[in-house]
Amino acid sequence: MEITKEAICGTLESNDLLVKVAPRNELEVVISSEVMRQFGVRIREVVEETLLQMGVTRGQVVIEDKGALDCAIRARVQAAVLRGCECDELNWGVL
Amino acid sequence: MNYGLEFELLYPKEDAGGAAEVRRLLRASNLDVEPDIQFFVVARKERRIVACAGLAGDVVKCVAIAAECRGTSLSLKLMNEVQQVASIERGHNHLFLYTKPENAVLFEGCGFHQVVSVLGSACLMENTPVGIRDYCDMLAAFRQPGERIGGIVVNANPFTLGHRHLVQQALGACDWLHVFVVSEDASAISYADRLDLVRAGLAGLDRVTVHAGSRYLVSKATFPSYFLKDAKVVEACSTALDLLIFRRYISPALGITHRFVGNEPFCAVTRKYNRDMHEWLEHASEEGPALRVVEIPRLEVGGIPVSASRVRQLLGEGDFEMMAHLVPATTLALMRAKYAGRARARTFRRETRIIEVK
Amino acid sequence: MGRLRRSMLFIPGSNAAMLSTAFVYRPDSILFDLEDAVALREKDSARLLVYHALRLPAYQSIEKVVRINPLDTPFGNKDLEAAVRGGADIIRLPKTDCAADVQRLEVEVERIEQACGREAGSTRLMAAIESASGVVNALAIATSSPRMDSIALAGFDYVVDMQTQRGDGIELFYARCSVLHAARFAKIDAFDVVFPDVNDDEGFLKEVALIKRLGFNGKSLINPRQIELLHNAFAPTEEEVRRAERIVEAAEKAEREGLGVVSLNGRMVDAPVVLNAQRILELAKPAYARS
Repeated sequence: MEITKEAICGTLESNDLLVKVAPRNELEVVISSEVMRQFGVRIREVVEETLLQMGVTRGQVVIEDKGALDCAIRARVQAAVLRGCECDELNWGVL
Repeated sequence: MNYGLEFELLYPKEDAGGAAEVRRLLRASNLDVEPDIQFFVVARKERRIVACAGLAGDVVKCVAIAAECRGTSLSLKLMNEVQQVASIERGHNHLFLYTKPENAVLFEGCGFHQVVSVLGSACLMENTPVGIRDYCDMLAAFRQPGERIGGIVVNANPFTLGHRHLVQQALGACDWLHVFVVSEDASAISYADRLDLVRAGLAGLDRVTVHAGSRYLVSKATFPSYFLKDAKVVEACSTALDLLIFRRYISPALGITHRFVGNEPFCAVTRKYNRDMHEWLEHASEEGPALRVVEIPRLEVGGIPVSASRVRQLLGEGDFEMMAHLVPATTLALMRAKYAGRARARTFRRETRIIEVK
Repeated sequence: MGRLRRSMLFIPGSNAAMLSTAFVYRPDSILFDLEDAVALREKDSARLLVYHALRLPAYQSIEKVVRINPLDTPFGNKDLEAAVRGGADIIRLPKTDCAADVQRLEVEVERIEQACGREAGSTRLMAAIESASGVVNALAIATSSPRMDSIALAGFDYVVDMQTQRGDGIELFYARCSVLHAARFAKIDAFDVVFPDVNDDEGFLKEVALIKRLGFNGKSLINPRQIELLHNAFAPTEEEVRRAERIVEAAEKAEREGLGVVSLNGRMVDAPVVLNAQRILELAKPAYARS
């Protein structure tokens, strides 16, 4: 999938995260988290795995994490990417 | 659960009652409704407004929360709503925010990151950790070798022989020159046209890069008072943020050592900006290496300094014969073809301001 | 005797924090709402949040209901995909007016079960009745599909349709009785409306006493705080429990001894009375387990 426009998804409330995506020529994932020291590596893993599943190889993904669970991270990243790809049809097979 | 909190948009020009309520809330925080705010995101609790945040394009300002609601997560909910509304309904994903430096921590919890801060007065933030970094990375691709690298920022509203003169003079004093065109579309001449005219007007000159402007350079985000038509008072801090961004980020990205500027005989705002340049760019501070600021005397035609405002005045009067002495052929042609008779009203307002502040 | 279904807690599908933690409140069923609690601009994101929350290990031991948007909106079918694929036990269809509404849903559910490899028929359906038409057709709705699991009455839209408003309960009386009879006839469960004022415990308990008396299995809730109030109100009294224990013991004794007739204190006990006693003990269990 190709990110063609800037998009935002999620909130900054506790246990949630805000995801922003933007078109770029390379893939870049930027993460800020309140629990960076303990979970920074895990958050990155989940985000990168989610992007890989969706076939996103280019674009900037900025994450502001407020201690979200993996399931929320997956959901918010997926929704942000779909918005950024202007894609309305989900391929459930890759989620 | 939202604990009875409801968010809505309030357009101060259409809702006098709501605007008065917002004004009272802002007063309690020593703020006022700024005239360029298009709408407020307000939080209501039992129909009463308990928090507000104004949006002027991509700039968030006039943020206030009722005293009894502070210390709750209301500010977070408010700033979250602002970002959602700005993105989804207005297409502004990248937002800027002004606040007092002591409040920066509060907004850092809401997804905003500091760009620059002037101790004791103001702090500019943006809602991404990589906004200014991405911009600098992009600029760095245009880096040129040399010991003396110059930078000029022009509005070029429109491009005149005076601008060309300034660039030629600067080129005589440096190895390479970076020219930035203010990108805010708030001037009589559209940004696209101004940029084209600068490129056309500087064609044939070596060692010059013309850069499109950005939000980080004399924009409504970095320097709002420059664009407020009725600004009678130019606050000291309002130029500092813009100049510190230039010093801390833009100059290092391109290796700029000298900033050139035409001396300003007419416009008080610009004159103040020039004066502040010495203060914020040249003097030692922790904001990055110091620059030299070089003021270059204006080109004069018939004993009168050439200025864009004079050109706009002539445009309003339809005097293209006189204009031909002040601008290159490319500017003259476009003024004749596209702007004849159109700039009258705006020119008049601008002139009024200049008289007021003198 | 199926599992207890006194409390059905509504969780807004767009609220990541509540989705990740709502299991701690231990309601009998949890309802992830994609409909009214979710703003239009968040429909896409909430759908994915719910899909992933359904798969959380913490929710595997709890009954999961997803309220989808009506199928005639742009969201309904997408919500259904997320809910069925995510593993929802039950789909709650809002604004059910007639049996055909359920049958349309049934076709889609079957298609998705097949597409994602889920056991055919494993997704059950709950019809929410929110209109005069739904109440009048309650029996047809309750018997519309073998997947039908329960009926829920939703008061907010219903009173608007009836040109009245919420009051002491008399305005819902016919609807409650009608829906309940349809459910009992079809041998499925019945859920009562959300109580609108989360701060009025007294009013809430009064309404709970009424619907318990009428015979509802339970109630939709929007505040976790109401769970315990509801469970306590549904718990049988000590005397009821003691009596039920004696009946069940007698029944077990009769079975051990191969007797065809259960008797207690010299009087014969009918089979429905034994069933009722078992239900009371089931209701009593969690209340005792807590204390």
